[in-house]
Amino acid sequence: MQQPSERSDVTEGVVDRFERVVLPHLDDAYTLARYLVRDEHDAQDVVQDAALRALRYFEGFSGGDARAWLLAIVRNCALDWRRRYRLDERSVPFDEVVHGPATASRSADAAAIEESEQHRVQRALGTLPLEFREVIVLREVQELRYREISDVLGVPIGTVMSRLARARRQLAALLHPDTREVS
Amino acid sequence: MHADAGCAPYRDALDARLDGELPLDEAAGVDAHLATCESCAGEYAMLAATHRRVSAHLPRYAAPDVLSARVRAALSEAARPATASTTLTSVPSEPPRTPAWRASAWWRLAAAGVAIALVSSSVTSVVLERRNASHQASEELLASHIRSLMPGHLTDVVSTNQHAVKPWFDGRVDVSPSVPNLDSIGFPLVGGRMDYVRGRAVPVVVYARRQHLINVYEWAQPARAASPSESTRNGYHLVTWRRDGLEYWAVSDLNTKELDAFVAAFIAAQ
Repeated sequence: MQQPSERSDVTEGVVDRFERVVLPHLDDAYTLARYLVRDEHDAQDVVQDAALRALRYFEGFSGGDARAWLLAIVRNCALDWRRRYRLDERSVPFDEVVHGPATASRSADAAAIEESEQHRVQRALGTLPLEFREVIVLREVQELRYREISDVLGVPIGTVMSRLARARRQLAALLHPDTREVS
Repeated sequence: MHADAGCAPYRDALDARLDGELPLDEAAGVDAHLATCESCAGEYAMLAATHRRVSAHLPRYAAPDVLSARVRAALSEAARPATASTTLTSVPSEPPRTPAWRASAWWRLAAAGVAIALVSSSVTSVVLERRNASHQASEELLASHIRSLMPGHLTDVVSTNQHAVKPWFDGRVDVSPSVPNLDSIGFPLVGGRMDYVRGRAVPVVVYARRQHLINVYEWAQPARAASPSESTRNGYHLVTWRRDGLEYWAVSDLNTKELDAFVAAFIAAQ
């Protein structure tokens, strides 16, 4: 007895194809979500939400770059999440960037220095506006080409380039305050 | 040495040069400029250092196994035929995101479970010593239930299909557990796992009600049948009953009324 339902459109065959084409990019999806919503459990929620949304849109997927396609959906879900929980109202104070790692880096222990370096970079990234943070993650962590970043963000390549340039210079100013030239 | 107006087009191309996004001829033009302009070369070196430092220190994350499992379970749930659409998780008129958000409430519960377990493990170890033997089963079941709420501990087999869950236990435990389909009354199956309670391997079948989880344990108990009796510990409810030489325990933080309804339906469907 078939009842009319939106769900009945999704056949097992579609799910099989979806699992083959889209699920290999789950790590990328989770990585982007981690950087956009920060909390690991929230990131898992976002990815699960995105996967279901992606399945619903899968018929409309033209068969191009599945990773960029999925990441665009993850990003939308993450932005919805941030709006829902008003994440943008909670900002990381810049003080933490300056003071947090500074004490640890005095340690002679190489591992501690490495860890504090990671902490320092992550903190610096966390202080960037979201539109800069996401372009850094897509380029520096996920190593997407400009064309792919443009697809994920839904903006022209020129906008990707200008955002990336500004984002890198802000990071440089946070990370190398002494060497940053005064322009 | 400062950048002059002639540097502007090169300055704008430095990131693209660094990222290998420039056509060969343009890249060569930028390189030629950098060879002669100290200011732009300095800017490029600063950008390259930032790029190296940032890409080396920002981790890529691997999706946790439990996330893959949950996504796959959600996908197969979504692919189920519409005849099963009388369940809570598949009301067609609701917006498409609902199942995910419902599932997501679960993660909050799981996260809360970690916190609860951290607090309660020290408490229960003290309390346990004072419990007499008849209470030990429920203490252990409660500990098992709380542990199951932690990410990755809930299910060994994730499936919303009773015909996938039941065979999974074959050869793993000496009891073939009851896995009734209670979808139609709003208790979707989540999966199953093995757990150790009172020194033996016990099958656990997991159901959900909204964001609440229900763990159902059963083991051989050659005592006479008993109708369901209820107890409450640390805010969790435990219902136990016996029939056909088996003892059952259902553990959940679901309210007692709905848990009773679940148990009644479970027994009726056996």
